[in-house]
Amino acid sequence: MNMTIEHDSAVDGMYDPRADSVVEQSVDRIFSYQELARLDEALTMSSRETGLRFTLYIGDLGTPSRVRAEELHARSGGNPAEAVLIAVSPGQRVVEVVTGAAASRRLPDRACALAVLSMTGSFAGGDLVGGIVNGLRQLSDQAGHPSGHRRH
Amino acid sequence: MNVAEALLIFAGIPLAIIVVLALLIYVPAGRNRRPRYKPGQPWEHAPVWYEPHPDHGPEAGHGETLAIGSSDHGEFHGAQSPDSHGATTARVVNGGPLGGARGTW
Repeated sequence: MNMTIEHDSAVDGMYDPRADSVVEQSVDRIFSYQELARLDEALTMSSRETGLRFTLYIGDLGTPSRVRAEELHARSGGNPAEAVLIAVSPGQRVVEVVTGAAASRRLPDRACALAVLSMTGSFAGGDLVGGIVNGLRQLSDQAGHPSGHRRH
Repeated sequence: MNVAEALLIFAGIPLAIIVVLALLIYVPAGRNRRPRYKPGQPWEHAPVWYEPHPDHGPEAGHGETLAIGSSDHGEFHGAQSPDSHGATTARVVNGGPLGGARGTW
């Protein structure tokens, strides 16, 4: 789930002590393990329920942030048309939600704006993880189940 | 009851209770302290990209995201155009007309 520098070498099974030390430092430096578990569950469950692919980027977006977020969305893996990227730049105090063509039919811009509003409310109170989890919940509630294979 | 006993009971016991409560309150906060995000402070962490767990399918495999910093080739910054990376552009697929929203706080 956590796509940081260490990932490739860790997955490929090649032992790289330098990469290992990166893992040790970075995994819970930003968020605690509890918060990471909440993020993980929110991302996985909303992706599984809706059939869309939700990914979450936290880091600097530069200016203009929209262009950068769309660039990131194009690289988010899977089928970009069904991908939803939530990009949060705490340093710039900007959050961007980018939906692909197929995803935006189920997640209209107004629904995204509502989720963004609830996220910014939490972010302004300093609660990054809570805001992201609530935003993901709103987005996945709005998108609903994929037509065809409805699961319970 | 002499003076020493009175002091021990009426000053010692309350002090002991205060010390125990203070330890209970401040010691857990002291260790494992992570600076909490406050709006307006700079964000000095490296960018991270979280993706959902793969849904037991062949698609959405591990590490599929072309995440920033997911390889050792370093970061690709906004100033550079994606075209300057031959290897990356092959995987970049445009998702059609994009929607979404933007917010600041």
